[in-house]
Amino acid sequence: MTQPLLADYFPILVFLVIAGGVAAAMVGGNLLLARRKPDPEKLSPYECGFEPFGDTRRRFDVRFYLVAILFIIFDLEVAFLFPWAVGLGEIGWFGFWSMMAFLLVLTVGFLYEWRKGALEWE
Amino acid sequence: MAITLAHYLIVAAILFVLGIFGIFLNRKNVIVILMSVELILLAVNLNLVAFSSALNDLTGQVFAMFVLTVAAAEAAIGLAIVVIYFRNKGSIEVEDISTLKG
Amino acid sequence: MMNWTLALPEAALACAGLAILGAGVLPRRHDMFFPISMAVIGALVLAGVLVLGQGDGAALAGQYVSDAFARFSKVLVLIGAALALTLALDFNQTDRDLARFEYPVLILFAAIGMMLMVSANDLMTLYLGLELQSLAAYVLAAFNRDSERSAEAGLKYFVLGALASGLLLYGMSLVYGFVGTTSFDRLAEALTAEHAASLGLVTALVFVLAGLAFKISAVPFHMWAPDVYEGAPTPVTAFFASAPKLAAVALLTRVLTQPFGELSAQWGQVLWLVSAGSMILGAFAAIGQRNIKRLMAYSSIGNVGYALIGLVAAASADPAVRSEGVRALLFYMAIYLLMTIGAFAVLAAMRRRGRPVEEIEDLAGLARSDIGMAVWMLVFMFAMAGVPPLAGFWSKLFVFRAAIEGGYVWLAVIGVLTSVVAAYYYVRIVRVMFFDAPGAAGALDARPASLTVVMAATGLFTALFSVAPGPLLAAAQAAVAAIAG
Repeated sequence: MTQPLLADYFPILVFLVIAGGVAAAMVGGNLLLARRKPDPEKLSPYECGFEPFGDTRRRFDVRFYLVAILFIIFDLEVAFLFPWAVGLGEIGWFGFWSMMAFLLVLTVGFLYEWRKGALEWE
Repeated sequence: MAITLAHYLIVAAILFVLGIFGIFLNRKNVIVILMSVELILLAVNLNLVAFSSALNDLTGQVFAMFVLTVAAAEAAIGLAIVVIYFRNKGSIEVEDISTLKG
Repeated sequence: MMNWTLALPEAALACAGLAILGAGVLPRRHDMFFPISMAVIGALVLAGVLVLGQGDGAALAGQYVSDAFARFSKVLVLIGAALALTLALDFNQTDRDLARFEYPVLILFAAIGMMLMVSANDLMTLYLGLELQSLAAYVLAAFNRDSERSAEAGLKYFVLGALASGLLLYGMSLVYGFVGTTSFDRLAEALTAEHAASLGLVTALVFVLAGLAFKISAVPFHMWAPDVYEGAPTPVTAFFASAPKLAAVALLTRVLTQPFGELSAQWGQVLWLVSAGSMILGAFAAIGQRNIKRLMAYSSIGNVGYALIGLVAAASADPAVRSEGVRALLFYMAIYLLMTIGAFAVLAAMRRRGRPVEEIEDLAGLARSDIGMAVWMLVFMFAMAGVPPLAGFWSKLFVFRAAIEGGYVWLAVIGVLTSVVAAYYYVRIVRVMFFDAPGAAGALDARPASLTVVMAATGLFTALFSVAPGPLLAAAQAAVAAIAG
């Protein structure tokens, strides 16, 4: 009785093995083949301003929260687009315009945060 | 062993109770409370989707979508309020939240 | 096809809200609070007119229902929101942090949420409306960003409110699982059958009740109210005590009488305890308070207890008592809404040298410095205490009568006794205003015109209600016929 259930998951096992193999090959290849040129610049912060190495429990800028919040709202609201796109053939023009109205609401929200300067770092 | 509706409900109930306890027993940090709230909403979503699948009815999944998006908005507002509180107080320890009392 | 035009008031208000939000943020100016507030008040009035013209029926695939009950509640919600915003006009402009145009926009969005709550005909609509209202309310509580107390109020409100939403949702998910539908109509059909009193369903109902009891701040889920009422800016507190409370009570009434009508034996007992507990706590906990906003919080807890007497009567087996109970409840909430806003208008006018003051002693000698305001406050306090012939007397009389006709004599007795206790602290405020000598800090500042308008409008209603009680009674009667027929 357990056999069919496990068989269903066999592709995932294959996938895991292949993914692990590719990753190991890449890391191992790097270790074996790459030239080593240590440079202090390589250890300095870049892009988002984090120390590349250090204690994970230190404080970081609250502005990261703001960006994350703005991102997650739009990200999740877009989740409505998937069922809408799949069902568009059946829901007709009313469904189409409902989604347009929804996107308009999101646009107004976006306009608000843009004008408020929430998208600027400084 | 086949996984039945009851298993999903038990997992959801465990998550729900963990969330409730996280809110009431936590003495450390407000962020943990926000995470507990998310845990509760997650338990609800699991319930809804499990019932939806068991009843062969789509309503539960639609409901779960709405809960998901509202939870995101709720988390955003919660974090914003925590940030405001931190700016005023300089701390988000749960025990410090006691300026107002009768 | 989906007859969405039935939901025109909400749709129009939402469109107006988006347009107003855009109009507020596009000009790079910082003095948008007053014009945007005016626009929002205009939009609320427009929505009220549209509500009056609304027809009956279900819309949006049965998710939304428009009936006399919904229209009655919506008109009151819109009146409450508009008055609460008028009350903020002057108060907010004295503080740079409060005078931001987001304030009226948040009130508008909360009003849409409340309208959806009272029109909900499905657990999903209920949840979305409740959350729209709650999310706007969390932000409003923390609106004074530089005040530690306001931020703390917002944080407490948010954490406990989110917990309540979680309980409510968990209950709704169980209801969905046990009955297989979220629609109120189909729930009502299914629950008449053998399902009616299964243990699982009763558990689910308890979760739903707990979540909603939190939103109306009824005992034992009242603990957030005093802190939030004290910490939030006064106009925000005035808003919290009025429209959202009415909307949540209306929502509770619809949920319990329509989909869960068959379970009335179960929820009737729970509500009996909730109602009695709220009345007792509201009466006794308020006695020792010095902060008047905190006192009003306990007063509002007690008032919810009185209103719930009507809902307990609605659990009765006799249809006549049921409709009597719901009518008393609606009548009570309508009068409570206007009395409360009037009292908060007086609290918002309490300033000394530009700074808001909140202690009861700050009212000392008010009769000598500003007799007009003292008289309005006297009207509101006596009305809340239930002194005839003010409006508050009739509302209490109706709920007690409904309780006695339904055979809940003990509840009526508790109600009368707690009213007497509560009268003590209402009268104490009047005594401080009229007989105490002014404190060393000096008289209060002159009250602004916008607050005078609110005080006069609600005060005249409260004082002269007995002259023409007919329209409100008729409206409440029509509303009852729609849900408890």
